[in-house]
Amino acid sequence: MSKTEKRIEEHDIVRRLEDEGHGAYVESYDPEDERMIINMGPVHPATHGVLRLLLELDGETVIECKPIIGYLHTGMEKECEDQNWRSAVTIVTRMDYLSPFFNEHAYSMAVEKLLDIEVPPRGRYIRMLMSELCRITSHLVQFGTQGLDMGAMSVMFYGFRERELIVDFFEMVTGLRMNHGFIVPGGVWEDLPDGWEEAVDGILEVMPGRLREYQDLLSENPIFIERTRGVGLITAEQCDDLGVTGPIARASGIDWDLRRDEPYEAYEDLAFEVPLQHQGDVYARYQVRMAEMGQSLDLVAQIADKMPEGDYKNMDPKLTPPPRSEMNRSMEAVIHHFKLVTQGYPVPPGEAYSPVESPRGELGAYVVSDGGAAPYRCHVRDPSFYNLQSLPVMTRGGLVADLIASIASIDPIMGGVDR
Amino acid sequence: MSIEVVDARQWVERAESMRAEGWMMLDLAGLDRLGLDGGAERDHRFEIVCQLVRPDVKQRTSLHVTAEGDPPTIPSVTHVWGLAAFAEREAFDMYGIHFEGHEGLSRILMPDEWSGHPLRKDYGVGKITIDFKPQPFLQTDTPGQSTHGLASDVELDALGQIKPADDEARHE
Repeated sequence: MSKTEKRIEEHDIVRRLEDEGHGAYVESYDPEDERMIINMGPVHPATHGVLRLLLELDGETVIECKPIIGYLHTGMEKECEDQNWRSAVTIVTRMDYLSPFFNEHAYSMAVEKLLDIEVPPRGRYIRMLMSELCRITSHLVQFGTQGLDMGAMSVMFYGFRERELIVDFFEMVTGLRMNHGFIVPGGVWEDLPDGWEEAVDGILEVMPGRLREYQDLLSENPIFIERTRGVGLITAEQCDDLGVTGPIARASGIDWDLRRDEPYEAYEDLAFEVPLQHQGDVYARYQVRMAEMGQSLDLVAQIADKMPEGDYKNMDPKLTPPPRSEMNRSMEAVIHHFKLVTQGYPVPPGEAYSPVESPRGELGAYVVSDGGAAPYRCHVRDPSFYNLQSLPVMTRGGLVADLIASIASIDPIMGGVDR
Repeated sequence: MSIEVVDARQWVERAESMRAEGWMMLDLAGLDRLGLDGGAERDHRFEIVCQLVRPDVKQRTSLHVTAEGDPPTIPSVTHVWGLAAFAEREAFDMYGIHFEGHEGLSRILMPDEWSGHPLRKDYGVGKITIDFKPQPFLQTDTPGQSTHGLASDVELDALGQIKPADDEARHE
């Protein structure tokens, strides 16, 4: 039986099933046409969460790719409107769950803009310390999953092993491994605990060697290079058009990093370089991320060196509850604490947008206040949401296997995409 | 950072000239002004808020574009900035703002069969006040609440769960 005859026979079976009421299987059918529409996800090991792709394929070649999202939508922006300004942090932090500090950071900076308050230097440095360490954990997960998708399984174990080191430090400082709710409007919730310096030194001692180990594992690996060089191409113009930011844009030659170009907190006090590549393929993105991990380690060392003494949050009593020691002595302090926790503080009417450089690009928070104790609107510009639009551009005309590499290199976090 | 309000009729023209100047759109979000300064008395209720950046001169701006008519309508700028494709779908999904000229304007985060636009200020979140007195009530008439798949005579208890028909049914 020829190939065409076989396909006609298959077609007849499908038509019969449709007539019997099994639902529509094909919309139009041409036996000579090899194109087919395949659904990938939402539950698929290579889609990094609940991303669903509708693929139009011609054999192994991707003709069109359409991301379908919303499977993790839980209405977080709506929920924020129901919290007071302080407690909305606990919701915002759960959006991009691999980089919780950046969500809190962007949101807190936007609220501080509305309140028109300053964060003390120590608060700023603690924020930067946690953010830079968080950038490493996020890139390590990307590194691990990218390796896994390319068939280098051991890379996954190494990535998560080192991530554990840093996540333990987060647990030591904030009490939680993820979704910390640590950075709040006005500063950070707690001071660094005793022994933080030794813990950071431990990380700084181990990590550079491990990063070299990763370079040995993948950077020169012929299989990895074969699967990533020239794959998932995107140009700088396309990045500009689609609002793609972060490592993807920097791998296409866009020299833009908010930490250097629009310095927030105390980044202007630190010396660092922005890793840049021009090829715009999956391998270039891998190189940018590896270089950024090294840069972040360097920044962590500088921050730990320069860590100033003093307050770690704005001590304005209108904003910050009184310390525990005072509450043990004074009834007024207890009442004050109770009022701040149950009712929160009002924020002057207005709107503010403030971005930070997250591991995936520009993460911005847009908040609107009507003068009340709850956000009127709290929108988060999540980089994953917009970066995902570059997937069809990267994959059109490529192979299905290259599609997998492209998804891994975009590093979409579905919690942030769907919010 | 400056804030500027743009009329919907001038939006496409304005967008094209800004794109030519090198402005890059970073975000487009909906906004419902129902509870903000005057709210419903204003001539428009819905807006979109666009965040734009010009990397070459390190400049940022924020634009409010007002939606007009019923349903609220704004011309689409997907042909100017590709980023707007997802963002406008989100604003449509969450606020019911229509974007003229958007190819494939459909819900993006909520399911296709959903009714209502969740981020509108008059959309109930389905919260149930806890009432300790034994009062029968139904929660299904909250605006926008999906009653998809529920029979009309089903009664819900205070936690929003379906009550069994009677005690016998529970013991079986």
